[in-house]
Order: sequence, then C-alpha cells, then structure tokens
Amino acid sequence: VTAPAEIAVERHGGTLVAHVTGEVDMTNASYVRDQLLDSVPNDALGLVIDLNECRYLDSAGIEVIFDLARRLRRRRQDLRIVVPPGSPLTRVLELTEVATAAPIHETVDSAVAG
Amino acid sequence: MLRRPSHRQRDELRTLASRQAAVAEIGRLALASDDLDALLRDTVQAARSELRTDYASVLELTSDGRSLHVRATAGFPDDMLGGVLRADAEELSRIALDRDEPLAIGDFSAEPDFEPSAVQRELGVTSALVAPIGVPGRHFGVLGVYARDPRPYEADDVNFVRALASTIGLAAERSHHAGRVRDSEARFRELADTTPALMWMTDPDAHVTFVNEGWLRFTGRTRDEELGDTFGLSAHPDDRAELLTRWRQAFRRREELRFEYRLMHAPTGTHRWVLEVGTPRFADGEFAGYVGTTTDIHERRSMEEALRESEAGFRDLADSAPVMIWTTDTRGLVTFVNEGWMRFTGTTLAEELGSSWALGVHPEDVEQMLDSWHASLDMREVWEYEYRLMSHSGEYRWIVDRGVPRYEGGSFVGYVGAAVDIHERILMQQQLREVYEIEHTIAETLQRSLLPERLPEIEGLRLVPRYLPAGQAIGGDWYDALERMDGRVALIVGDVVGHGLRAAATMGQLRNAFRAYGLIESSPAEVMARVNRLVMSGEDAMATVLYLVLDRETGEVTYSAAGHPPPLLLAPDGVRFLEGGRSMPIGAADPAVFREASGVVPPGSTLLLYTDGLVERRNVPLENSLAALAEAASEAEDDLEKLCDRLLAAVLPQLNPSDDVALLAVRPSAVSADALRLSLPAEPESLALLRRRLERFLHAAGADELESYEIMLTVCEAAGNAIEHAYGPGDASFDVEAALVAGELVASVRDSGHWRDRRGEHRGRGIKIIMGLMDDVNIESQNGGTLVTMRRRLAHARAA
Repeated sequence: VTAPAEIAVERHGGTLVAHVTGEVDMTNASYVRDQLLDSVPNDALGLVIDLNECRYLDSAGIEVIFDLARRLRRRRQDLRIVVPPGSPLTRVLELTEVATAAPIHETVDSAVAG
Repeated sequence: MLRRPSHRQRDELRTLASRQAAVAEIGRLALASDDLDALLRDTVQAARSELRTDYASVLELTSDGRSLHVRATAGFPDDMLGGVLRADAEELSRIALDRDEPLAIGDFSAEPDFEPSAVQRELGVTSALVAPIGVPGRHFGVLGVYARDPRPYEADDVNFVRALASTIGLAAERSHHAGRVRDSEARFRELADTTPALMWMTDPDAHVTFVNEGWLRFTGRTRDEELGDTFGLSAHPDDRAELLTRWRQAFRRREELRFEYRLMHAPTGTHRWVLEVGTPRFADGEFAGYVGTTTDIHERRSMEEALRESEAGFRDLADSAPVMIWTTDTRGLVTFVNEGWMRFTGTTLAEELGSSWALGVHPEDVEQMLDSWHASLDMREVWEYEYRLMSHSGEYRWIVDRGVPRYEGGSFVGYVGAAVDIHERILMQQQLREVYEIEHTIAETLQRSLLPERLPEIEGLRLVPRYLPAGQAIGGDWYDALERMDGRVALIVGDVVGHGLRAAATMGQLRNAFRAYGLIESSPAEVMARVNRLVMSGEDAMATVLYLVLDRETGEVTYSAAGHPPPLLLAPDGVRFLEGGRSMPIGAADPAVFREASGVVPPGSTLLLYTDGLVERRNVPLENSLAALAEAASEAEDDLEKLCDRLLAAVLPQLNPSDDVALLAVRPSAVSADALRLSLPAEPESLALLRRRLERFLHAAGADELESYEIMLTVCEAAGNAIEHAYGPGDASFDVEAALVAGELVASVRDSGHWRDRRGEHRGRGIKIIMGLMDDVNIESQNGGTLVTMRRRLAHARAA
C-alpha cells in the first residue's frame, strides 16, 4: 500500500505552482520529486510547492524539498514553499530548517510575488 | 484536480488489473469450455508472462501419487510435455502439495533447505514459485513458475499464482466430474437397452427424454412417439387419471413414484399389470428429472385373482407362469413354491417347504427381511420387501417379494406371494445415487473452498459470519471483508443466481473480482459497474450483491445494493434498514447504472448484511419477513455470536432454510483510549496503515489535532528507521505500542535491527524530528534489536 499523493501544476507567469494533495512518505517520495522536477521547464523562473492540501509530510518528504532546492539552484531557479498559518506541518519544517533551502510563505500569491 | 497516482501505485494498479484480467480470462475459459488441456496451456502462458519468468508448468499428480505428469509447459523444452517426473524428486512440488500452501523460493543458493530438482538445475533455475491445484485429498497437481534469476516473490505474486491454481483446480474437478457423468449416462443407456426391463427417463419438466428397447417392444410404439409430454399415454383408460395424479404429486415433491396400473401390451393387444417405480435424479446438484423402471407384474396379479377362485386352478396357472410364486399356511410356513421359483433358486420343493424363509437370502438382508415378514404376518397385512436372493448360478440377485393374506369363507388361511427379479433396476438406481453423491460432494467441497475460511482480523471491527447451506442443493452465497488502503473497510455479501457446481464456481470468481476492484475503486457504484462489465463480458451469470464501505473513524457508510435486500442497522436509538443505493443485479444488463447511498452508523451500532435466504419465504410478502427480522433484532445483545444465533433461530425456526443463507454481523468497536499494540511487516507499505491506526488511537486518547499529527509523525519516523534496518525481505516485522499513562502519551517502536549512524542528512532529519516533537526520547539496543521509547504530555492533561 503506497501513500496517495496527487500533484497538479499551474503556471503563474514565469513561475510554476505545484499543488501537492494527500500524503508524502518514503513510499512515494521519489515519485513526488520526479513529478515536481519534470514540471519545471528550463525557462521557468522558479517553482512554488503549495502544501495547503498536504495532509502528511515526513522526513522523506522534507528530503525531497532539500533535493529539489539543490537541483533547481544549479539551474538558477528558485524554490519556495507555501504553508498556511496554523498548519500541522509548520513545526516540522522549522525543526528541519527547511527555510534555509526554500523560503516559506503563508499564501500562494505571496510566494509567486517572491 | 487531475488524479495522478504515484509511479509505484500506477505500476501496482496496472499489474493488479492485468493479473485480475488474466485470472478472469482463465476463469471464463474454464466455464466456457471442457477442453482442459487448452485451459492449462493458456494458464501456464499467462503465469509466465504476467510474472515475467522463464518457465511455467502444470504437473498433474498421478492416481498413485508417486509421479507427476507434465500436462502443460511454457518456456520449457518441447520434449518435456507429456513426460512423467518422479514426485519425490520434485521436492518443491511435493512440499507444496503436502502443506497445501504455495511455496516461493527467491534464491535456491540462499536456501539451505531446498534444492532445485535435476531438471530445474539443468535449465539453470534459480528461483521458483509453486502452488498446489485442487483441494487436499483431491489435489490435481501443481502450478509452478521458474526463473533463471533470483526473484523476491511478493504476496501479490503468490496470490496471483494461487488464484490461477484455484481456477484450474475447479476446471479440473469439473472436467473429471463431467467425465464421470457422461460415462455413467452412457453406461446407463447401454445397460438399459440390453436389459429386458422397461426403462424411461424424463427431464426436469417431466418430458420423457429416453425410453429403452424393452419399453418400445412392450408398447409397440416408436421412440419418436414416446418422447416428449407422453407420460401415461399407454396406460389403461381406467387407470390413467390416478396414475397421472400420483405422478404429478411425486414429481412436485421430488419423491419416489410407486404405482401399479395396466399398460398396453402391443404383442398381445391386451393390457398387462405393471409396477412403475420412478426415482428423482440429480446432476450438478440440481434436479434433473426422473429415471424409472416398469416391471411386468401381470402374472402376480393374475395369481392373486386366480387363487380367489380355486386352489387347484391356481397351482396349474402358477407352474406355467414365468414368475416366482409361493404360498404359506396360517403360521407362515411355506406350503408351495412354483417351478419359476425353483428355476431361479435351483432348489428342490422339499428344501423350500416349511420354515425355509431364510434359505438363500443374502446374510446382510436376512434379519431385517424376517422381521418385516413376521411383522406383516402377525398383523395379516400385505407384505412387500426388496432383498437379495441367491440364484441357481450362485449369484445374489435383487428381487421384490410381495405376499397377500388370503381368506376362505371369511377365515385366514395363509399367504400367497410372488417375487420378481429387479436386479437391473436396483443396480441402476445405485449407480445413479453414486453419481449424485459424487456431484454433491464435489459441489460442497468447492463451495467450502471458495468461502473465506475465516474473515481477516480487522482492527476496530468485530465481524461474525454465519453460513447455512440449504439441504442438498449447493448455492452461491458468500460474504467477505477487506481493508482498503485509505483505511476504510469494504464489506460484501452476495448471492449467485442458481445452484450447483456452476453457481459455486461463479461465486468464487465474483468474490475475487470484488476483492480486486474493491481495493482499486473507492466508490461502491463504480466497483459494481466494473464487476458487472467483467461478468457481462464473460459467462452467463447473475448475482445480487450488497457492497458497503465503512469508515471506522467517522462511522460513515457508502453502499450499493444490486438487486439485494437492504442492510439492517441496529443503532442504539432503534433498528432501521439502510434504504437507497438500489440497483439492478450484477449480470443483468450492460451498460447498467449502479446507484450508491450514504449514511452514518452511530457509535455502538451493529450492521447486519445478509442474503435473501434469510428473509424470503414462500407465501410471505417480503415486507413482512423484513419486519420480522427487524423485530427480532430490536432486542439489544452485547454478544455478537449470540445475536447471530438468536436472529437465525427467530427468523428460521427450523434452521433448515430452503435457500442458502449468508449472514454477516459487523460491529465497529469503541476505540480503546488505553493502549494500542501493533505488529507490522517491516516494509514501507506498512506506514500508511500505521498512520490510520495511530490517528484513531490518538483521537480516542483526547489528543488535539496538532498533537495527533506530531505524535503520529514521530512514531512513523521511528517506524521508518525500523523498516530501513530490518533484516532481509523475509519475515521481518516491527512492533509499535502506544498508551496514555497519567496524561502522558508513551509510544515505543521495537525492531530486530540496529540503527546505524546517521546516513547523510536525510536520516539526521528523522532523528531531529523525533527529538524535537517529543518531550523525552530514549533509544536503546536490546536483544539484537533497537527499542525507541518516546513520551509527550498532552495539552488537556497539562491544563488539568
């Protein structure tokens, strides 16, 4: 049984916004990473990962964020994360210092605006 | 939003769907055709291509159990087909058969206990998966796949091979059984045409489908004239009405017909007295019509009449008659036997006179025969008895002997009797009974093997099933329960239309189809639609099904009832049926619209799923029986077993239903807020299930949403470590315990491996999360494993 996750990508100008719905754990982390990486063309300015609808994200999912940030940085592209205020994910992202790799925004709009 | 499952999910679903299709196709072929060899050929090809192995084969166990006959191969050298292997040399196959379990060897070189057979070694076989075909005691053989490279066979692979093996097992049984029936019918007709007796058969509509040569010679009619709706046609006009009445009555009740009447005898142009005996016969567990014999008893009747006139005249007549005649005095001592009797027995008159009743009677029959005779004699009643009597050749032959008390001037003077040789008739009846018994046993075994032996243990749910078979007919009722990956539970109760082997086989396929689609599809209506499509594309089958999905956490249910009675909800505030979601039966039309309905099962409720055998009564409107069921269920009962027993006793007083009954009682248990204890396989796939269970437990323990999330995450991080460090892919598992102790949540994860030092940042983050989210964490090495214990005080306890 694999964790269910869905990814929907939309374009906001030069920035791609990927909405991640469901759960990310070690059973589907590499799939999520590949999907996200494939969704960013070379000419894009950056990627925003929207975790509004993400119900579960463990250390494997956090590793995906660090990995993506590293790969995108090489392509001179930005990675930003959207986590709404009060999300259960907040503490975990703080503890693992995700913000050092990808800035965390409260809304998609502010993330796209950079 | 676009639904896009993960790669792995997609691959798994694709594999599952493709394998399900392969099993369905093999199942369809198994039902559609009698060609077992073609079916086995298709099966080994499907097994080899679905599992991407180098070789696959079906080996049939020979009747002495010592050898294996190569019945079908894929990938193997051509000359193997048709060969015979020694069973004791094929270790893997033999063990799979002994254990009646599939056996998987991922890598022979890593298995000290198993070795490939010589044939396998020659072909470079490194891994193998074999499954027994058929049921213990009647194993057909083994289905096996073999590869030249090591393979980590997983549960899905084993299940797939098991499903194929069970399907061809059914086909092999069917083929074997069809052969027996064909043989026995052919034997019957052959025997029937060479016997001097008169014989006939009808179909289940009472139309005559066969009469033998003897019958045609007697009535002087052609076979064409006799076939069809001709029963009683040649009977004497004075006897015909009663014959037909008795025949219809027996036929309706499926009882033996026994009647004496006068039948037109063409060679003499007169009517002769005959005894008609008709016996119901069954094929495939279903009523198939009657088989009958007609015995000429004209002499006996004439004797009885002649005797009423004069003793001397009777003896003359008796000695010239081709039947066996006797008389006794008032004490029952034999005073006369005719020539016919002595011709049959080869005895002399002196031997036969007097107290000779036991003479020549088969030792197994003599005691009861004498009891019966003396009982009749005491009461001066007509006596009739079937027994074996030794003939002059020394062979015991079945006769029917009948004695009638006679009176002279109003006073009893003794008995007159006549016996007729009915040996052929009895043999034929025994043979038919034997065939029927074989069929019945096969169908019964089949159904038992297709019903779940026991339902899976589902946490947070108590399940009690009941199955009552209906008398002799084998039905196609089943029940099932399965846990979906979203944590919801699918509950299924179904009823295949029809009886017998075919219904039981269809039931097995439907059960598998619901299991497969029940895992993939979340909507009950969609599951129904997909199974319906599968059924409509294949065999001619129909079933009513109730399919219900229950969310254990919220009590939400979604269900669809395809031509099936509604489930009954026993809620604390009363009893009601879950109406709605009514749809056509499965297999009735394509495309068909399947509806679903939703509701909520309040805490403390019980759900009853059942098949219509429980509520369908002749002459009772369905609403009345449903009301009776609801009434019986309205009295509260804590013990689910007792509830089932009580309901069955109330609704089916004689516990002997006319149709099969399947009943499944389901009770979501109150979640324990005290402790959670789990042992899970050490694989990443266990994590989703662990999250669901932790969520349930933490919610019950009073943790708020954020605490719940963070504790669940922490325990899963620890579990993730346990999974990464577990030994090998084999039986490794890990244990999780969680308990609320004085407001403090204490959780532990125990595994059998060692946590290595941080491997890169990734694992380091896991530890950071565990340390950061819990108040206290302790990691210790223990008995060759690691135990991590985590504590966190809950907010509501802190506030208190």
